[in-house]
Parts: sequence; structure tokens; C-alpha cells
Amino acid sequence: MKHSGWQLLAVSSLLLGMLATAETRPQYGGTLHVSTRIAPASLDPSDNSQPDSVARRNLDRLMFDTLVTMDNRGRLQSSLATAWQAEPGNQRWQFSLRRGVKFHDGSPLTPEAVAASIRAANPGWNASAAVDSVIIEREAAAPDLPAELTRTRNAIAKRGPGGTVLGTGPFQVAEWQPGKKLRLSAEEGYWGGRAFLDAIEIEMGKSARDQLIALELRKTDIAEVATEQAQPAPTDGKRVRTSAPVELMALVFTRDKQSPEESKLRDALALSIDRASIRSVVLQGVGDPSGAILPNWVTGYAFVFPTDQNVGRARQERSEVHRVPGWSLRYDAGDPIARVIAERIALNARDAGITLQATTATDADLHLERLALASANPRVALRTVARELGLPEPKLSSDSVEELYQAEAAMLQTQQVVPLFQLPTSYALNANVQDWNQDRDGAWHLEYVWLVNKP
Amino acid sequence: MISPRQHAVYNSPIAEMLIPLPCFSSRASSLLLALCFWLTPLTYGADWSTPEQELARKIAAVTGPGTVALEVVDRASFNKKDVDDISRGLRVQLETLGLRTAKPEQAAATVQVSLSENLQSYVWVAEIHQGAGEFSVVMVTAPRLDEATFAGETAPLNIRKIPLWSQEERILDVAVLEEGSSPSHLAVLDPDKVALYRFTDGRWQKEQAMEVTHSRPWPRDMRGRLVMRQDHLLDAYLPGVFCQSSNRAPLTLTCRASDDPWPLSNQFTLGGFFAANRNFFTGVLSPGISKQTSTGKYYSAAPIPRQKYTLWMFATVDGQVHLLDGITDQTARWNWGSDIASVKTSCGSGWQVLATRAGDSSTDSVKAYELPDREPIPVSQAVDFAGGVMALWTEAKGSTAVAVSRNGETGNYEAFRLAITCGQ
Repeated sequence: MKHSGWQLLAVSSLLLGMLATAETRPQYGGTLHVSTRIAPASLDPSDNSQPDSVARRNLDRLMFDTLVTMDNRGRLQSSLATAWQAEPGNQRWQFSLRRGVKFHDGSPLTPEAVAASIRAANPGWNASAAVDSVIIEREAAAPDLPAELTRTRNAIAKRGPGGTVLGTGPFQVAEWQPGKKLRLSAEEGYWGGRAFLDAIEIEMGKSARDQLIALELRKTDIAEVATEQAQPAPTDGKRVRTSAPVELMALVFTRDKQSPEESKLRDALALSIDRASIRSVVLQGVGDPSGAILPNWVTGYAFVFPTDQNVGRARQERSEVHRVPGWSLRYDAGDPIARVIAERIALNARDAGITLQATTATDADLHLERLALASANPRVALRTVARELGLPEPKLSSDSVEELYQAEAAMLQTQQVVPLFQLPTSYALNANVQDWNQDRDGAWHLEYVWLVNKP
Repeated sequence: MISPRQHAVYNSPIAEMLIPLPCFSSRASSLLLALCFWLTPLTYGADWSTPEQELARKIAAVTGPGTVALEVVDRASFNKKDVDDISRGLRVQLETLGLRTAKPEQAAATVQVSLSENLQSYVWVAEIHQGAGEFSVVMVTAPRLDEATFAGETAPLNIRKIPLWSQEERILDVAVLEEGSSPSHLAVLDPDKVALYRFTDGRWQKEQAMEVTHSRPWPRDMRGRLVMRQDHLLDAYLPGVFCQSSNRAPLTLTCRASDDPWPLSNQFTLGGFFAANRNFFTGVLSPGISKQTSTGKYYSAAPIPRQKYTLWMFATVDGQVHLLDGITDQTARWNWGSDIASVKTSCGSGWQVLATRAGDSSTDSVKAYELPDREPIPVSQAVDFAGGVMALWTEAKGSTAVAVSRNGETGNYEAFRLAITCGQ
């Protein structure tokens, strides 16, 4: 089925390629159709009840702006804030606001609105309005505050009655059916220049297979590609764009280890896993086996954490434990490869003498999880993972890579998490989609996209 | 792969300039031109001594004096020569700290140094194994080297591509204000300003920057054009904005909201109205080509004079070319891109059209054509650009054009003069 699908896609792509007129300067107009697996019930970027994912952040970026952005080299760039500076100690920051920016209802972006938005997203922060600027004060030194503000959860939103949220981004909401469909229209007066597209229609809650079929039928222009299908045969003829690894797949223990013996068992489980085989067979060669929490392109040292299977040592560790409990491993039933990977890990564990039962029950001992990379700033990313795992937030006082390594090593030593793979995100594009850009961290820039043969 | 060593530029003497312009004397042979391009990047050398010293010091602090086995592995974008050089440098530094390097079986410790990288810097990681199971990790960072400011250029054929300017900010147009054997005074238009640069004492120095004021947001894919004037220095045309310079130093720039037509040629009087919040001309012409006062929405225009009329070509937004001669509006599809410009030269029929290539905008090329009748005939090989051509304007003299592209590798905007040479 997979192959026939891609062959159809290849044929349709070729036809489109022949039909497409080709002029290099972008054209205005048209509606871009996008499919996605996520199905958020809310558009509020700081709504923590909605699962975080690369796809959700990309949706947020269409409607909302952050004060600061990060470019592909990890450098901070101005956005709604044109300048920023910290007082000595990095505890109190001032962000000068861009003038002339308006929310989608036409109301001006004011320091008061920005401060309210920051406070709503971060109840523990002290944000206040000043003349043409916003002051943010933290309880402790926060040298990475500007990088933290590049996260879409900190995007500036104006919250109204009934849960409505308004942004200042390149597109505004035209129609919203929670969890099903979002239609966006280009904001004519966008401060960064009107987007080339007139509109974007996003169909939500679609499986990867349904998205692929929609792409073949030209019902969608952009479809998410399942991880294991991101490296198709080169003769397929379609366009698939893949990010750098931006998602950590890991085993996460749901409770702290209780004894030195459990520590040995956790060690044995980590040593038993054959990441290379799983990558080769299940993931079809996509992704990087990882013993690290953060990907190597972000830190530069991830390879130091071992990934090799060592069944001998695993058995040795296991043999030093007298009473070995059976563990359950929860996987996401909606994730097509999670079950297969969970079962492979259970098999590996059995080789080391550990009983691991794959399940979809929520009260399992371990979870097989996907953790989206929070930021290309490694310190922000590591702190976020620590929060998500319920671990103490690492104290990082400098931008020393050695200090970062020590902090990450300390987090791994808690044995709460067993990293497995660093995975990219991939999208298949119809031939009419031009100037598609994706940052290394998977961020879209649909404001630059334009269409040929637009309907 | 980029060799960091080869393209190393720690202290580029002229940060924004591609290469010293004296290389481009008008009589320079193509070989000399090519040598100017090729040799410049090679003259720079990376100095790795600081990270080498720092890493050696950290290794020595772990191992103490004695013998170590050292292996250096590339996990980034270094080539073999880089790795060999760094390995040699590390050994020297370790020896100065009292460590001798030896084969693994003779060493008290083994050290594997991985030359890695992250988003912002090189990361050199030393994994140190001592005795049974003793394992330490130390690491240092080194700033990433600037990307090569300019890649080697192939020998020019019919179109000479002469670098004029490079900068991080988007370039909308470049005007050469003065030149002898090579340009010595430039005006660079970007969305925020008109900057003047003068080549003095062997380097380019910013003379003045004049702000472009505007009240409305600029459109995406912004465009702009500089036009030299006789009674004052220059005019700048931008979407919905017109700016005029003063006529004496120190220059000032006065900008106002305007929908005045942009001049489409220096040789022929024809203006086009530009859509203030888009990237194209509306199609309305002023004063018109004979009785024709409009055509389709277009990105660019190029005139070719005939014996009794002027043939105007318009690259329209639907990917076609409209040919207007004052009577008919004929359409054609020639696989041209959206930017065209005509130049008057001493080659061939005397007039050529430079046209970008149709297709993917990640790379681009420009080729010269002649139109003996109504069909273009290519008369040059294509000259390639490392990114999409974003502007192609005929220069004030009319014999050359300025092309601006964004280098996909460096992210910088680069402006080139395109000059047609005969018989090569």
C-alpha cells in the first residue's frame, strides 16, 4: 500500500511539474491546504493542556509573533521587540517594542498588552509595562530569557472573553472548528509584510495515511510524513523535506527509583536495547540512535553518551538483583510505530532477563514518549525537558558547553529517562508549493510560501 | 563539504566587501580575474592554537604527566588536512605540558578527541580513558569560522559577473556613482537606507547612510530602484514611497508616500506604476507606448529599439512575456524568469536582453538573448548565482546591469555588475 501510494504521488507530482509555469519571483494569492495529525482544542499558544509538538508550534507561528526569534544559526533576532537589554545580574530585562504593530482586531500592540500576555503564559514572572517597552523580572538570574521568549508558548496574545485569542502574526483566524479545521487569511497590514498566500486551510486530526492519500488526490498541498517513511526511494519523484532531529523518543519512568537494586535494573534495561536494529528495521534508517537528551546539532557532544547494546553487561547487572519485578511499558496507541518499538524493546529486555509488557494502559511503569525539542538554545531545551520529566531544573550559570554537558549527564544519572532516538519531522509537498522553508528545528515559514497554478 | 580551514576568515580586512575591487580593472584578463577570485579565500588561514592549547591543558589536568595515545576524529565539517593539522597542534601542546604521545599499548591513557560542532560553535570533545573503567570527558569550544564570503568564480564567457557589494541586509539596488578603472563610489539601497561607500586607502569605507522613512509596512519580496539624476545625486523608488536626495554634501534624503511611476529605462521615457503592497508593477504605463497605456501585471520590463519603434518586453506575473510595440500586445512563453533587463553594448546587434531562468528559485542564472525578430536567441552561456536573483536593473549608462541575489550558503545578499563581453 505504501509503495503504491508513493508511486501515485510520483506520477501526480510529475504531471504537476509539467503543468507548472515557472517564474522565479513569488506570486501572491491562492489557498494553501495543509493536513496535520494534531487536533488542538484551543488556539491559545500558552495553553499547557494542549500537548506540545513541532506541528502545534508551527500553527501558532502563523497567528502569533514572539518578542524575539531565533535564526538557523541560533542567533537571536528582533521580532515584536526591536531591542533588549539586561541590568547587571540578568534578572531584570527590558524589551523595546516595535512601533505600529496591531493585533488582528486592529487594536495596537501596547506594552500593557504584551506584559499581560507574558504574565498569562508565565504566572511566576513579573512583567510590567513601561514607555514603549516591557520590563520582565525573574526571581533569579535569567541570562537565557530572550531565548526563552523565542518559544511559541511565549507568543504575544490578546485574550478576550469566551477564550478568544488574538495575535499579531502574518495570518488571522477566519474560521475555527476546534480539533477539526482552521482557516486562516493573510493579514494585509502585517508588520513584516503581507504573506504571499491569501489563505491557509488546515485539516486536523488526520492520520499519516489519510494525509498521504489527500496529497495524492491533491486535496492537500502539505502532508506530514510518518517517521519511517521519510526516506523513500529516490525514484519516487515527490518532494519530501526533512528537518534536523527535533524530537527525542525515550523511555520515561513514571516514578523515582526506589533502591540500588532498581538502579541496576534500569541500567540493565538501558544496556539491553538494540537501537541500531530498531532504527534499521522499524524506523527504516530514519533518525539517530541517541544516549543523549539533546541532539548533537544543538550541543555538539551527544555522541559521548553511549548507545551500543551490551547484553552481556545487561545480564551482569540483572544478575546482581535478587528480586526482579515485571514492568509495563505504555505506548501511544495513536502512534503507528510506537507499538512496534515498544515490543522490540520488550524483546531486548527479555534477552537481559527483564520482563517488560507493552501496553496502552496509562498506569504503566514506563512510558515510551516523544519529547519535542523546546528550543535550539540547549540551555532552554534542557531546562524544559527537566520540567517535563519532573526533574530538578539544572542550574546553568554560563554558556559553557562543559557545564551543559555536566547538567545533562546529571539528568541521565537520575535514570528517569532512557534516550532512544533523535527523530526529524518530514513533510511531503505538492509541486505547486514554492519557496517552502523549514528551519533546522522544524519551524515553518509559510509567510514566504507561494503557489503556482493556484486555484 | 566546506573546509573550515580553507575558508577561514577571522579578521577579514574589509568586512562587507567581497574582494578588493582593484582586481577588476577593466583591462584585466579573464585569467587574472579568475585568480583574483580564486586566490583571495586561500590567503586566509585559521588559527586553532587557542582551542588546541585550552584542550591540551584540560587533558593534562586529567591525566597528569606521562604518556597518552591520541586519536583525533572528525564529526563536523573538517577535511583530512584540517584534522591532521589540529592533531599535530594538539600533540605539540600536550608535549609542552609534559605529556608524550605514544601507541595505545604503550600509553597510560587513551584520548579520543572528536572535532564536533553545534549550532553556534565548534565543540572539541576529549574522551579520556585511564586504567580500568576510568573515564573523563573534557571539552572546549571554538568560534565557527565565517562562511566563505565568496566562492570561486568560473571563467567568464559572454557575461562577466563582477562582484560589487555584499551585506547581510537585503540589497534592493546598487548604483555606481564614480569609477575609474573600477568602481570607487557606490550607493547601496536596502529597505532602511541608502548607504554611500567610498573606496579610500585600499578599503571601502561607509561615507554616509540616509534613512528611508516610510509609514506603511514594506511588502514581502520587497523591491526598490536607484536612479541617478543630473540635478541631484539620485532618486530612490520603493513600494509606495519616493525618495529624493539633496544636491550637495552632506546629502540628505527626503522620502514621501507616492504612487508615482517608476522609470522603466534610462534610455527611453516610460514609467510603470508599482503596486505599493505587492512585488509587481500594476501594468499601467505612463505615458504609454504610443497608444498602448497598459499591459498585464508584470515584474520587470526591457526595451529593444527597432528602426521605427521600440519593442518593449514585460515579464508578467503569469510567467509569460508580453511584447508591446505600440500597436499589438503579443504574448509568449519563453522559459524566462521574472527579471529581465536590456543592455546596449558593442557586441552582436548592439542590444541584448538579460533574463533570469525560469524555475526553482534556490539557484538561478542569467543568460543574454537577442531578438532579431520576435523570438529570443540565446547569445551567451548562462552565468550562475548561488541563490535566486532578486533584482536585475539596467545601470545608468545602459551598457551593464546590476543583479542581486541571496547566496544560499552564506545567507548574504550579493550585488554583481553584469557586463557583456564580445567574442569570447
